Order: sequence, then structure tokens, then C-alpha cells
Amino acid sequence: MSQTLTRDEVLKIAKLAKLEIADDEIDVYINELSEIIEYVKQLDKVDTEGLSPTNQVTGLNNVFREDKVLYYGYTPEELLKTLNNVQDSYVKVKRVIE
Amino acid sequence: MSNDRTESILNSAFLKEYVPTIGIECHVQLKTVSKLFSGADNNAKEAPPNTLINHIDLGLPGALPVLNEQAVILAIKAAKALNSRASNFSKFDRKHYFYPDLPMGYQISQFDEPIILGGYVNIYDPINQRAKRINITRAHLEADAGKNIHPDKKNYSLVDLNRAGTPLLEIVSEPDMHSAEEARLYAEKLYLLMRYADVTEGNLYYGNMRFDVNVSVSKTNELGTRAEIKNLNSFRSVERAVNYEIIRQVKLLEDGERVVQETRGFNDQEGTTYSLRSKENADDYRYMPDPDIPPIILDDSYIDKYEDETNHLPDYYIDKLRDLGIDEVSSYILLDYELEEGAGILEYVLSLPKNSVKPIVNWIINIESPIILKLANITNNKINRVHSLYEDLLSISQEGLINSNSIKELIKKLFEMDKPPKDLRLYIKELGLIQNSDTKELESIVKKVVEDNPKAFNDLKNGEQKVIGFLIGQVMKISNGSANPSIVKELIEKLI
Repeated sequence: MSQTLTRDEVLKIAKLAKLEIADDEIDVYINELSEIIEYVKQLDKVDTEGLSPTNQVTGLNNVFREDKVLYYGYTPEELLKTLNNVQDSYVKVKRVIE
Repeated sequence: MSNDRTESILNSAFLKEYVPTIGIECHVQLKTVSKLFSGADNNAKEAPPNTLINHIDLGLPGALPVLNEQAVILAIKAAKALNSRASNFSKFDRKHYFYPDLPMGYQISQFDEPIILGGYVNIYDPINQRAKRINITRAHLEADAGKNIHPDKKNYSLVDLNRAGTPLLEIVSEPDMHSAEEARLYAEKLYLLMRYADVTEGNLYYGNMRFDVNVSVSKTNELGTRAEIKNLNSFRSVERAVNYEIIRQVKLLEDGERVVQETRGFNDQEGTTYSLRSKENADDYRYMPDPDIPPIILDDSYIDKYEDETNHLPDYYIDKLRDLGIDEVSSYILLDYELEEGAGILEYVLSLPKNSVKPIVNWIINIESPIILKLANITNNKINRVHSLYEDLLSISQEGLINSNSIKELIKKLFEMDKPPKDLRLYIKELGLIQNSDTKELESIVKKVVEDNPKAFNDLKNGEQKVIGFLIGQVMKISNGSANPSIVKELIEKLI
């Protein structure tokens, strides 16, 4: 089958998705992702001349909220309790800078 | 690099061959009560960490963000301040990147159809006495991210999401600036515009306005490779960062190296910039329309309504004041002063009879504002009351009844009073502030001062003109500040 994607492109996609892939997995993904792209490419055959892009399908617009503080039925403390890793009320994560 | 060194490099010959080009992105936090897409309190200034959050700000599955109408209204007002007009159609898009201060994994922003397209900002360069127009490319609404902190020597970072979801208006300028000074003037004007349009608290200390500057240098008509310096939160750091960056890039090019397109940070203490990361391409954000937020369609009557509600803007006052003979430098001082004191000073000045505008503006700038700044706790009410006495004060000083020292004294007194005096002239007499122009009386004081200061008088006789100021000062002191200084000067000169 055709390989739409290059090795570098797959590595770049992995990086953007923040995924680590092993060297021996790269070829697998070249094939699988290329297949997906080929499948979606069928849409290229549709004639869209003169049509504006579809940004949404609900037909709604101007769904506005009044500018006031809302109570959603729980406190921020209760919300924090649902998180795995909290320290002194901060969310604790893997260090992001050196 | 020290400031002196920066200065010397800036003035060096080879630097002058390069033209710097600067564009600025400014993030303005809008002063709404609640966040852009959630009903969390938007006042994150001093709140303890993670106390202004909900499931929408945390991006929990199933959460539905709903747009705050007030943010749209403030964008309409900001558009007017930018000499533009809100678009009839705009929409929101998702901008994807991974960082812990962005729990959803994407920022809700506006990509190709922002709420504001086009516009311009007028700046005024007081040194070259030159006005200039800086064009605005666009401005869009987006949600702010949270804040990361990185404790020393630990293997973790901590995230506070109070700020996540605060409404921002990101204002993008064209690369129309060509010096660090122009960049600062633009940032300062943008601040005035957003404050007068009343769309932001405008507190730079709390990051209510943050600037990203794009800087490149080139010897030719073609633009050079640019670097972006992110997150500057004062006008001074905008100017310093641009200056540093111009020199860094010119040095690289002179050394035969090339400028790398990248994002840089600014070290405020050292006044230097440092590399953060190489710039990702716009495509890497994988923008897509956000299906959660239906588009904004604004009809003209809706836009007109909120444009009409917008307060008078800085250029309105500058134009009016120019017609009254007030130069731009003075107008900008008044505009700042109005914001600091909330004093209604601009409307007051515009309401004055034409011929008293100039002298009163001069007073406000030269005499009153330093005093007012010292008296931090005076109320607007009191300021307005003193303003209403200005015309009386002006005629009193024009009659020579009171000298400029005593006027300062008087204005200070008027601020301290609970009720204004019924008869200002009588009040001045009671205070003993009437200018003493009685030549005989002054003559005797001058004689005494000359006798008490033989050395100074001798120096004056030998041609040291500046000593006369000292002698006049002594006379003023003995007369409790009431002496007419020009008469005193004449009397001393007669004795030489």
C-alpha cells in the first residue's frame, strides 16, 4: 500500500501529541496513519466549489451567558479533592522547566 | 549589559546601518465579573491558589463552556478605541498545545475570523515632536491560561488555575515600529486607550496587560529573521527588551552569524533576553473551529449601542485640547493625571473660558500635580472643589496679590480643608499669604540679609550671578514667603 507519510512526519505528529514511540513502532505507525489518511482522502473527491466551510452544525449563534459568578453545586475544595496530586492547594505536576 | 554600554553600542556607527522592525502583541485582561466561558469569579489578583475554579476551567469531560456576553461588549468598546469596529461575524477556534497551565489541552481562541480586524493607534514622540500611526492587524478574544510555579530544587511544578479562563483580548499590531522608544510609546498609548475605553483594570503589576514584542533588524528593504520576546509586563521592560534585542541581533549579523527564529524571555534584573524555545509553526497548533461555542453574529444596532456607551477616548481630548492651544506633551500628562486621580480634570479644563485654559493647564502640570501626588488620600470631591476655585486663583495671581510659592501653599491648604472658604481673598489675607510688594519694608529686610551674609554679597559683587538666588531665598525666608521675589531681586541689584 502507499505510504503517504514520511518517518519524520510521524515523529513530528508523535511529538505534537506528546507521545513517545519506540523505534520499531515507527514503521507500524507510518502504515497505520497513512491508511487513515488515505481513507479520509476520499473526501477530496467531493466537489465543494462555491461552498463555505462548515464550522458547526447546530445552527445556533450568540449563545451568551450573563456576566455573573455561578455556583455549580460544589466548592473548589471539593473539586480539588477529585484530583490525584495536590500540594498546598496547587495542582502538582512533573517539573516543566529545568 | 549595563545601560551605559547599551547606550554606547546604540550610538555606534555600525548599528545605524540597521533598521529595526518591531511588531507587538498585547494581551489585555478584560474586567468582567466572571470568566470568559465559565461562571468562576474573575478576580484572581490576591485569591489563594485554586479557589476560583470549576469543572469548565479544569476541562473535565462533559463540561460545556458558555460565552460571557460582557466580554463581547468590552471587545466592541476596545474596537472603537483601536479606531476599528467589531466584526459582524466571528467565531472561536481551538489552539492545541500541551502545558500544565492549560488543562483542556487547547486554548479557546479565535483564528481566522477574529472579533476585530484592522484599526490603528496614534502615538506621539515628544522628543522628535512627531505623531505616528501604528496599524492594528487584528484583535481576538481568548481564554487566559493558569500559572505555573517551579519551586527551587524540586522535581515538580505547581499549577494555580485561578487565572485559567480569564477573558483576554489579544491585540496584534503591524510591524510598524522602528525603535525601542516607539515600541514603548505604543505600549503606553495602548494602555491609555484600554483604560479610557474602560475594558480593563489595567494593573500592570498584576499582569492585566502583557506584551510580546517581535524584533528583527535588517540592512536592506527585506525584513530580517525575528525573535519574539514574551511576557513583558511594564513599558520600561518593553523598551529595554527591544533595545537589548536590537543590539544582540546586530552583533550576531556583524559576526557573520544568523538570527534564529525563536521565543525568548526577558531578565528584568539584568535587562537581557534569553532563548526559551524555537518557534513552532502556526500549523503546529492544529487550529480547528470549536464546536462548543456557536459563532458570534452582531448586528449593527447592537454594535452601535455599545460604541455609543463608550467613554470619550484619549484622542478626543487631545484633539479638543489642541484646538485650545495645548500641546500634545501637556495633553498626555493630563490624560495620565486623570487616570491616577480620577479627578474629572479633562472635562473641567474643556469647560473653561478659552483664554484661561492655557494658564490653568500650566498650573495643573507645574504646580498642582506634584502636590496632589503627595497627598495620596484626598477625595475626588475635594479635588473638584479646588478646581472650581481656579479662576479666582488665576485672577488673584495675575493681580500680583500672591506669589507662586504661596499659591502652592494655598492649594495645599485648600485640599486640607473640609469646606472651601467663602471669600478666597479674605482667606489669603488671614493666612498672611498676600504678596509683600511694599518696597520700604522689603528694603530693610534686604539690608539685613546683605549685612548677615557679607561673603555671599561680596561674591555677587564679583560677578557670581547665581549667588543672587541664595540671597533672594534668605529674604523670602524672613518674610515668611510673602515677599514679591521680582521686587527683592531689583532691590539687591540696586545695592551692587
